[in-house]
Amino acid sequence: MAALPRRIMKETQRLMQEPVPGISAVPDETNARYFHVIVTGPEDSPFEGGLFKLELFLPEDYPMSAPKVRFITKIYHPNIDRLGRICLDILKDKWSPALQIRTVLLSIQALLSAPNPDDPLANDVAELWKINESEAIRNAKEWTRRYAMDN
Amino acid sequence: MSSSDSENELSNTPPNIIQLAANTTRNLLPEKSRERWIKSLSKHKTGDFRSISNRMLQLFWFGKKTISNSLSIYIKTNTGSTLSVDLDPNWYIKNVKEHIAPKLGLHPEEMKIIFAGKELSDSIMLADCDLGQQSVLHAVKIKKREKLPSQSNNSLIEEVEEEQGSKPLCEILSDLDFSTTESENSLNKSVSDTDEKERSKVHFYVFCPTCKSLKNGKLRVRCNFCKSGAFTVHSDPQNWTDVLEVKRITGQCENIPELCADNIPELCADILDNREPTFAEFYFKCSEHRSLGEDDAAVPLYLIRPNSKDIPCLACGDVSDPVFVFPCPDGHVTCLDCFRQYCSTRLRDRQFWHHPDFGYTLGCPASCKDSFITEIHHFRLLTPAQYDQYQRFATEEYVLQSGGVLCPQPGCGMGILADPDCNRITCINGCGFVFCRLCLQGYHIGDCETPETTNTDGDCSYNVDPTRAAEARWDEASRVTIKVISKPCPKCRTPTERDGGCMHMVCTRKGCEFHWCWVCQTPWTRECMGNHWFG
Repeated sequence: MAALPRRIMKETQRLMQEPVPGISAVPDETNARYFHVIVTGPEDSPFEGGLFKLELFLPEDYPMSAPKVRFITKIYHPNIDRLGRICLDILKDKWSPALQIRTVLLSIQALLSAPNPDDPLANDVAELWKINESEAIRNAKEWTRRYAMDN
Repeated sequence: MSSSDSENELSNTPPNIIQLAANTTRNLLPEKSRERWIKSLSKHKTGDFRSISNRMLQLFWFGKKTISNSLSIYIKTNTGSTLSVDLDPNWYIKNVKEHIAPKLGLHPEEMKIIFAGKELSDSIMLADCDLGQQSVLHAVKIKKREKLPSQSNNSLIEEVEEEQGSKPLCEILSDLDFSTTESENSLNKSVSDTDEKERSKVHFYVFCPTCKSLKNGKLRVRCNFCKSGAFTVHSDPQNWTDVLEVKRITGQCENIPELCADNIPELCADILDNREPTFAEFYFKCSEHRSLGEDDAAVPLYLIRPNSKDIPCLACGDVSDPVFVFPCPDGHVTCLDCFRQYCSTRLRDRQFWHHPDFGYTLGCPASCKDSFITEIHHFRLLTPAQYDQYQRFATEEYVLQSGGVLCPQPGCGMGILADPDCNRITCINGCGFVFCRLCLQGYHIGDCETPETTNTDGDCSYNVDPTRAAEARWDEASRVTIKVISKPCPKCRTPTERDGGCMHMVCTRKGCEFHWCWVCQTPWTRECMGNHWFG
């Protein structure tokens, strides 16, 4: 495997030395491009109190291509499907090499605080979020309690 | 004059009196007399110190000699003759004039030397002129009475100013001038540190068509009208716009006085007042291969600049030199490696833009507005294979945006510009395939078949490159084969193979049995029978 680019080393170093509050990202022992991520559910959101596991992978042409990120913990969210795939513009066409791992994870955390049912990835969840928000939030809380706590 | 050259060369040896003396006199004496002078100086010293320093000096001068001894230069005159001479880079322009004047039948005093838009003054050393092997210097006889271009009255040119000449262009310009349009601050900024001075010296990067790669470039000037290099500028370019755009800097052409406007003798006042001034045309040469003549120009890659401010790369964070500065308001910087990677990634994903004015191009990777690269030669930084791909994609995009179609036949891809209301397209000059413009299948009569919809099951909006997904299908290989060897029935689109016989086809499908022509992919007619029944 090719040598790890300096940028990835620097980003990893900074993530370790100055971690983002509420986010932990640790590179895999065998693959420095694969990160084990834990994001805490933001306060005042249905995900509060939950610890959400994600995986993040830096493809070969990172930072020219966006990192690949996926939720491993099940989550009830209109922009995250049942396989954990995330609908977030900066992970697709709005990606820019000026963005970093930390900015991506912060955006994901922000997405948890502000779901966007008009740009859904999980259609059924989005539908409910629009029709009956209180029930959707109840579901989200229930899923958080069931899948994202005590693990 | 700067002595930074000699300082750099001497920096490895310990300083001593002789060296310092040699250093300070180097710029004042021609080489031979300097050597003599050093020898005589050395005689006064005794013992080891003398022999060591002498040897050092010998090494130094010897080294200097091998690099510099023969600078083979062409001297062009405005009378049309060309002279080939070998000059010593340590000569001053005064020495050059003394050397060549007799050969041209002139006195050294009545001659001026023009190079890169400047008349060189007598005190300039050739080595400081950014000359390469086989460069061309222009020798022009000074006229006694000349008109000042800015003044309409008959007035004598100030002889003093004319004779003084100036420094070569490469010594006058600095990179600071070129990075911004407001150059006043940088001009007044005095740079004391020699290192800083060296860094702020002007650097140009070009794509050299001869070396086929990114090289250092040299700025040259010629007359916009007659293309002669015997041309002096009235003012120095202050920024890239002055260099890249035509008709911004005026000058004096010495080549064909009868033709180039500034030298028109007293014609009627009307013409003189309304005439267009003579403009300078700036161009670039590769500084790394021997000049192949005056037409041996190279494209300036002006977005590549020396990293004089130590800006880290937007993508990798490293500070490297030179760097690519995007034409966005913020001037985002990437290193050249990241620029290449950015281009190749975007190219692979077909994310380049087809811009109506600039062509197939990219903007700043930080998604800034109005940041398109307007000089598409910057993409020559890609590998030759990638550049080929870039050109192919650019052409395809151009064809499509001009309302054309690309032949859908695997392995063909010919671009076809057809009548806007004609849906039956024949790949003329290509593979000869006849297809429907709307569905890109073999030509047919009636409505297009709705394409097979791949099973889109609700949540499956995951972003997959459709071409990759298409290539990865198990059945695709045989499907391609069928496409290549068959043509669809124009009526029911059943793929049909013709394995011999005439061009008159009858659809094999029960219930269709349509009679059609293999060549036209239309109903079989008497004309088909007459023209190409048997091919």
